[in-house]
Amino acid sequence: MQTVGQQLIITAIPALPALVFLVLALFGRILKENAQYVAILGVTVSLVFSVFALLFVAGIVPGGGSPIEFSKNWIDLGEGGSFPMGVYIDGLAAVMLVVVCFVSLMIQLYSGAFMEGDKRFAWFYAMLNLFTASMLGLVLAPNFIQLYIFWELVGLCSYLLVGHWFEKPSARDAAQKAFIVTRVGDAALFMGIIIFWATTGSTAFEDIVEAAQAGFIGGSLFTTAVVLVFVGAVGKSAQFPLHVWLPDAMEGPTPVSALIHAATMVAAGVYLVARTYDIFVQSPTAMLLVAYIGGFTALMAGTMALVKKDIKRVIAYSTVSQLGYMMLGLGIGSYTAGIFHLYNHAFFKALLFLCAGSIIYAMDSYNLFEMGGLRRRMPVTFWAMVIAGLSLSGIFPFAGFWSKDAIVASAYEEHYYVLFGMAILTVFLTAFYIFRAIFLAFTGEPRTELARGATESPGIMTGPMLLLAFFSIVSGWVGIPEGFGLPIRDYFAEFVVPSEFAQETLNLEGHAFSLGLGALSVAVALGGIGLAYFLYAAKSERAGALARRFSGLHTFLDKGWYFDALYGATIVRAAKWLGRVTTGFDRNVLGGLVGGVGRGALGTGGILQRLQSGGVQSYALFILLSVLIIGVIVGAQYAFLVVALVAVITIAAVAVGARL
Amino acid sequence: MPPVPSQVQALLEALTVTPPLEGYLVVGAFLFAIGAWGALVRRNAVVIFMCVELMINGVNLTLVAFADYLPNAGGLGVSYAVLVIAIAAAEIAVGLAIVLAVFRSRRTVNVDEVTSMRG
Repeated sequence: MQTVGQQLIITAIPALPALVFLVLALFGRILKENAQYVAILGVTVSLVFSVFALLFVAGIVPGGGSPIEFSKNWIDLGEGGSFPMGVYIDGLAAVMLVVVCFVSLMIQLYSGAFMEGDKRFAWFYAMLNLFTASMLGLVLAPNFIQLYIFWELVGLCSYLLVGHWFEKPSARDAAQKAFIVTRVGDAALFMGIIIFWATTGSTAFEDIVEAAQAGFIGGSLFTTAVVLVFVGAVGKSAQFPLHVWLPDAMEGPTPVSALIHAATMVAAGVYLVARTYDIFVQSPTAMLLVAYIGGFTALMAGTMALVKKDIKRVIAYSTVSQLGYMMLGLGIGSYTAGIFHLYNHAFFKALLFLCAGSIIYAMDSYNLFEMGGLRRRMPVTFWAMVIAGLSLSGIFPFAGFWSKDAIVASAYEEHYYVLFGMAILTVFLTAFYIFRAIFLAFTGEPRTELARGATESPGIMTGPMLLLAFFSIVSGWVGIPEGFGLPIRDYFAEFVVPSEFAQETLNLEGHAFSLGLGALSVAVALGGIGLAYFLYAAKSERAGALARRFSGLHTFLDKGWYFDALYGATIVRAAKWLGRVTTGFDRNVLGGLVGGVGRGALGTGGILQRLQSGGVQSYALFILLSVLIIGVIVGAQYAFLVVALVAVITIAAVAVGARL
Repeated sequence: MPPVPSQVQALLEALTVTPPLEGYLVVGAFLFAIGAWGALVRRNAVVIFMCVELMINGVNLTLVAFADYLPNAGGLGVSYAVLVIAIAAAEIAVGLAIVLAVFRSRRTVNVDEVTSMRG
């Protein structure tokens, strides 16, 4: 149990950035560039509190050692159930809290220089903090409803931040695309939540797990609900087939890309699957789907990244690919490895984006083919990017190696040979595309004047990069497997473990670290780096010749397998067609009806106007006739005559109106 | 005194017998109808007012007749008739004033020529 003070500290983790958001949103115009100090103060305190939560859950703080759990009733429906708001922090959530706060802090430090002089500087920081707060709230959520609220907030923030430079049409379009594509997933997630709530009467994760175990929900309905939840994760984590928004989201400022890709937004999808893992393991179909979607996405995005000219897009596709790895890991039951990769990925992916941002800051270009020779001009950025690249490629002993190898190895050991093949091929592609980008940007001779004039970024940008570079090397060392031969405990695997229930259901056997598989994946990665060197650094004309020779394939990859064209020709076109039809219905049918009544009244008035002759005697005649008619009707006492008369007059009015 | 012939006797009796309600109503209706016809077809505003008077008196006749034939009403119809006469007088006063004003401005009392209220 925790004391009230401890509960307050935990609540403050997401509340502080939210508070900073409010302050900056209200007083941003006054604070201007000082907004960054407020923001950094807030997120630093959050980071300290997150570390406290981590130590508490790990049992290092006295009284800890167990998951932190408390909640308050939020909406009480009496018999109908209730929706509490609460906190649940186990090892997984604690690690995520620290990662999110840390990466957010690094990015906010960095943004101070990168965004300097921006028109909406304070607003940018306000959004960064709302983004962080939403993600932290999502991580803490113990039930689907709370998770969904923050889930949507994360989506909103990504929309606002990707569209930060909304004066550019492409940024506007990208923001809308990000919002709409993820909305497809969100809608599916919400349907899944409704199914769970309708069948189990609860939205809390543990209640649903128990209800599913007890058989309250099962069979195809259960599988459907789980798959719907997974579609939500697919949308958020940019997995096939909803991956198309992420590369376009590169239109946002580079620090935003770093935040989206490393800690917030896309990590939410993987986190959702991990959080609801006990639900997922009860549906083998869903698990298999998770694994194959992940494996395929990893491979597909890897190929797309091979030919991109835009440095940010290379890294963006790399994220899609790495998220595929995480999904693959979760899907085949290697929970710890999947989360471990999420954790390591946060550091080196944030670093990659900050390096890209540093280059963009120095030479104001995204195009790899306008760079070149930046190694001597920007040494810190170069070495940071090489470290991040090695970590991403999974080279021993960088952080990425430990988690990536764990996923690849368990795919082999669990006998998913197809997935293993995809994974090992992706290792090769990953190493190739990231070092292609590095060689293009940093080696050789400068290709443009911009590259010639580039200088190293200021210390406030390189500082966070160096810190992240440090973590890109060592973050993996907390999870060195027992079988590796080093006298270090596998802290990560002890800390972030699937529940006993999940372990039993999946019936996993522990596998010792396989030196052969580790060596294989490193060898493949080195092969990728070697090929990149051979094609781009040693003799740069080789790559161009290759691209011309296989121009069809090159275009196919460059266009992202024509997914955008496919969706444009089918879904977008259908949606536009539907829009046109409904607009037409509105304009012609409904508008015609409304306008017809109006014109009818006008026309009838025009006709009746002629009766208003001004002659006293004609008025007298009308009065007498009316009295006569009323007398007849009242005398006949036939109410239907009145009705018929009114109907005839109305029809006549509309008919007249339509004719006019 | 010579005996009165039976036919004359019958006639005298018929004269002294209280006429039926319908008689009054028919006369009232005729008065109203003549007045209405005149109000609709005559052009002279003064004549129209006279016709309106006819209509009012037709209605008054029916009121008085009903008052006489419905004793339970306690003579309410008669008091209505008095009310109607008073209002008719007021109406004529206002109406003739309007006619005079129209005549002064237009030199005519022909209602067909007074159509300034045309819509």
